[in-house]
Amino acid sequence: MSSAEILGPTDPPVAEPPRRRRGGPHSRLRSPLVRYLLVRLALVIPMLWILVTLVFVLMRVIGDPITAANGGRLTPAQIAERKAEAGLDRPLIQQYWEYVTGLLHGDFGTTLTDHRPISDILVVNGAATLELSIYALVVAFAVGVPLGRLAARYRDRWPDVVLRLFSILVYAAPVFFVGLLLKLAFTPFGWPSSGRASTTTELALEDVSPKTHIYLIDSILYGDPGYIWDVVQHAILPAVALGLLTGGVFLRLVRINLLQTLRMDYVTAARARGVSERRVVRKHAFRNALVPVVTVMGMQIAMLLAGAVLTETTFEWQGIGYELAQYLIKRDFLAVQGIVTLIALVVCLASFLIDVIVALVDPRVRF
Amino acid sequence: MSTETTRTTPTFASRLVPSVVRQSHGLQRFMLLLGFVIIALFVLVAVFAPWIAPYGFNQDRADGVVFGAQQAPSAAHWLGTTVGGTDVLSRVVFGTRTAVEVIVLAVILSSVVGVPLGLLSGFIGGAFDRVLVLVMDALYAFPSLLLAIVVSIVLSGGSSGAVGGILSAAISITVIFIPQYFRVVRNATISVKVEPYVDAARVVGVRTPRILGRHIFSNVAQTLPVIATLNASEAILTLAGLGFLGFGIEPSAAAEWGYDLNKALPDATNGIWWTGLFPGLAIVLIVLGVTLVGESLNDILNPLLRTRSAETSHDVEELEEVVAEVEADAPATPAVSTRPRDPGGPPDDPGRRVAALSLTDLAVSFRTDAGPVEAVRGISFDVAPGEVVAVVGESGSGKSVSSRAVLGLLPTTASVSGSALLTRAQHGGDQHRDEEPRELIGMSNADLRPIRGDEVSMVFQEPSTALNPVYTVGWQIIEGLRAHDSSLTKKDARTRAVELLDLVGLPDPEHRVDYYPHQLSGGQKQRVVIAMAIACDPDVIIADEPTTALDVTVQAAILELLLSLRDRLGTAIVLITHNMGVVADVADRVMVMYRGSIVEQADVDALFSAPKHPYTRALLDAVPHLGREDGPGEVAGSADVVLQVQDLVVEFPGRLGQPPFRAVDDVSFQIRRGEVLGLVGESGSGKSTVGRTTVGLQQPTSGSVSVSGTTVSGLSDKELRPLRKRFGFVFQDPAASLNPRMSISGCIGEPLRTQTDQSEQQVEARVAELLESVELPAAFARRFPHELSGGQRQRVSLARALALDPDLLIADEPTSALDVSVQSRVLELFVELQQRLEFACLFISHDLAVVDSLANRVAVMQHGRLVEIGPREAVLGSPREEYTQRLIAAVPVPDPAEQRRRREARGSLLTDVD
Repeated sequence: MSSAEILGPTDPPVAEPPRRRRGGPHSRLRSPLVRYLLVRLALVIPMLWILVTLVFVLMRVIGDPITAANGGRLTPAQIAERKAEAGLDRPLIQQYWEYVTGLLHGDFGTTLTDHRPISDILVVNGAATLELSIYALVVAFAVGVPLGRLAARYRDRWPDVVLRLFSILVYAAPVFFVGLLLKLAFTPFGWPSSGRASTTTELALEDVSPKTHIYLIDSILYGDPGYIWDVVQHAILPAVALGLLTGGVFLRLVRINLLQTLRMDYVTAARARGVSERRVVRKHAFRNALVPVVTVMGMQIAMLLAGAVLTETTFEWQGIGYELAQYLIKRDFLAVQGIVTLIALVVCLASFLIDVIVALVDPRVRF
Repeated sequence: MSTETTRTTPTFASRLVPSVVRQSHGLQRFMLLLGFVIIALFVLVAVFAPWIAPYGFNQDRADGVVFGAQQAPSAAHWLGTTVGGTDVLSRVVFGTRTAVEVIVLAVILSSVVGVPLGLLSGFIGGAFDRVLVLVMDALYAFPSLLLAIVVSIVLSGGSSGAVGGILSAAISITVIFIPQYFRVVRNATISVKVEPYVDAARVVGVRTPRILGRHIFSNVAQTLPVIATLNASEAILTLAGLGFLGFGIEPSAAAEWGYDLNKALPDATNGIWWTGLFPGLAIVLIVLGVTLVGESLNDILNPLLRTRSAETSHDVEELEEVVAEVEADAPATPAVSTRPRDPGGPPDDPGRRVAALSLTDLAVSFRTDAGPVEAVRGISFDVAPGEVVAVVGESGSGKSVSSRAVLGLLPTTASVSGSALLTRAQHGGDQHRDEEPRELIGMSNADLRPIRGDEVSMVFQEPSTALNPVYTVGWQIIEGLRAHDSSLTKKDARTRAVELLDLVGLPDPEHRVDYYPHQLSGGQKQRVVIAMAIACDPDVIIADEPTTALDVTVQAAILELLLSLRDRLGTAIVLITHNMGVVADVADRVMVMYRGSIVEQADVDALFSAPKHPYTRALLDAVPHLGREDGPGEVAGSADVVLQVQDLVVEFPGRLGQPPFRAVDDVSFQIRRGEVLGLVGESGSGKSTVGRTTVGLQQPTSGSVSVSGTTVSGLSDKELRPLRKRFGFVFQDPAASLNPRMSISGCIGEPLRTQTDQSEQQVEARVAELLESVELPAAFARRFPHELSGGQRQRVSLARALALDPDLLIADEPTSALDVSVQSRVLELFVELQQRLEFACLFISHDLAVVDSLANRVAVMQHGRLVEIGPREAVLGSPREEYTQRLIAAVPVPDPAEQRRRREARGSLLTDVD
């Protein structure tokens, strides 16, 4: 849900040298791939630090977590005791220090209400979110890329008009509304529309053979076709709801970037040397158009996670987002702090991965 | 854009909206207007909510009768009732009010914070910018909804409830938008900051806040309506998301669609559709309206996606004026454009000539938003094997369009008529000699494809854009080879690619074949483009301004290459150019194009010695000619020294781990009163940096610059400001150096307003006077730069530079963006003003002929060093340094006989400099 996915490709590049010299020899000034990636990696660290600090500060501005969670139910003396127990009565700077060093050791903390280690949430619920995100990305690609190419090909003719309206509609419909419509449409046929699997499947997969916590893989490992079908059935509606949202964005991105690259001189040059139209679009326009698409996709990861919170709540899909919403309602801010930090970590790593992909697609970055 | 967002930028929006509607067409306009209508509807509903809604948003009973929960739609409750027993319609209507309020607040708040931050960050740069960018990127990367939730808890759910529901929701949403405004404004600021018109303002000493406001913000603001509309739609979705998760506005305080949807969710599995459907549809519809407006704005304002032709009619008028003037001087002899007499032809041409490509009555017109535009109006000519036919003309004459039409490479908005016959002759012995000519016009793309590149190929103007950056040059050559010979194996194709690169003189072809385009220099890239063009032994090569983007020494080498290929392969070459020197150098026959028609065609010698059409004569008169006898001489040595440059060094910091780049290396010179020093050099020689350093746009690393005895280098902006009136600056591109949002009077008057205390009347009077001195009507003062032609704009920049009667004028390539006939008139004016006002002038140019026509002394730069400096006739007439000799030898003069002599004389002097 960001304007930059539309404006993104037209933004001027940040680090562009101010004046382009005509054909100057600049090849020697380019840094190799390794240096580029090291610089990118080095940028992840301050970004992560900023996010972690921000989360910490915001969580402390709210007030102390114990009061927030138990305010009104405990006497002031009991609250003070519990604060001392959790180390929350010490100076803020000391708490911050312990929090950061804890993170460096992989310790994200423990929830206040049910004393669950956050790292446990990562393993169990993180797998659920990962599973949903992958399905959604598959749907998004399957919808966005081919339809975007189609729209670009028939620019300003009826397929383009229909597809653009479709992409705007998909963007305009909140994921929970799409979810609600899907539920309205499919529950009359008895199609499952909440949870990751029915209770028996879930029991079997979680208690008998919990391996990856990704149900599709677990159920395949378990080898019962009934379980596999159950898992697939449950995944389809949330994957479509979340995937359509991202797919609409992909569609627009692919369309606009394809249109822009199709106007480039090198496309005309390729046509002028007799390259077939299909090949021109596939090899010349499409690949170049993908560079900005991939960049924006990095931002989409954040959007996907935000969307996942809503999708997971809508379909009671017990992923990180669902858990986060539950802890937010319970006002368990230690849990919120841990989960949000975790999400920050994922976002930073994803943006680094995107940089790697861009480097692989665009040789100008590589050399 | 809703009326609310319009209110945030009233002056701008009122100017923008009508023009946007005017600029749009067909579908775009429909989408834009539909969006506006939807938004207007919602705004009306929001404003009149209490009158429209049948009940209150929390009302669950009327006249003491309870509505009842989850009642299906009925006459009393058109849209039914919710699970809480309230009227759905009333909640949707009041929800509109909440949504509109939040959007307006959020958009205003986030632009008020984000825009100034972005402006400052982009303008100031340095560490401040880097830190802000890092923080904003971090915020931006983070899932926005989560951020909004956390902020909304901080604001309302925490210890204090000081901020009201709507405001608190708006602030939570604002926090996530600030980074977006920041990014867009910062990036736009950075790109606007380096625009010449901002430099022009700095040169005359305009203060930073005014630069930020008048020059940068007014231009950056163009992007704001687009972001504002897109953010508005996100604001709605985020608000709904917050409400859905239970972190939005307190349900008792206002109706909110997201909250209603959350409550309706369990209903969905029970078949109760009305509780969720209507608030959801409301969200979809309002976001749809806002997005439609934003998307169409983006589409309309994005110059990359425009279908209109960029050609301005002003430039055409200007050319007509030039021609009319020549016609007035000497009454036109009837312009006979006969079919060619016996062409020059290549020496080895047999008596009988078969045209390889023959155009008859070729016409091209474009459908534009302003109606059809005729780009080419029925031209006819042909080109024989081994012959070079030059098509000359100035911008907008239709010369490039006609050549692209032949290969069917024009966009679909073009319609082409006439005939282009291609005859495959003398290929592989005599058996093909009588092959039937084929008609290219009207041929389908599929039929044209085998001809493109194989029989007719093209060389493009800008080699850096004609090569695809993501593939190696070898890959691209092989692609062309295999497109015409599918039986060719990859290995053979690669061998052939290496051979071709060797043939076009690319050093070390075995390795370079695997290079990406950005690893090669401009001249090398053009060699690759030529290698692609000859890959399949075409009968005809169409070279569209093949050397325009290149330096003069590289140009000479590339022309040499084209000629040698013609001699070796017997290819017919159509050379499209605006450079009469190039024409004289390589062409056998010449077609002169003017406004879409061929006005004259003749052999190269006849054309230059006896031009018939007035336009040709005007064009030839206008071309500056290197080696004139009557150029200006030296000024008296007793005149005051105005500019003294001593041991100047300018370095730019290198990239991480790279040494700094020395752009100017130990340069010293002086200019006296009334003297013009021509500073020449190729691209990257550092000549522009010298000019920029002289006026304080760039700080020297060491050395000093003094103007009229006062040292100006090393001064702060503030210290420099009072000294600014001593120098004027004329920039290269007149279109870019005048702020498009300021009137001509504003542009010319800016130095006066900044540097003097003159009253508004005095300024206006002076502007009129200046306009007169550059021979423009006084009425132009009220016009805007885009309403002027290129030449007129450059006169305006000249007037601006002279506004304060400077001692020193720096002109950085002042005419290189102009057509040659316009250039000569601007130069004439310049010389006249310089002689009258006697200012000292540093005239920077890559064009030796231009410098030759007006400089008293000439300085030559290469790789940041001053190679040679001295009186004009000495440096350009009998240069001492080898580099200067090479440079002069490479310049083609517009006289075929003389050029032939020069070509022979230069012999081995011009080795490849790539």
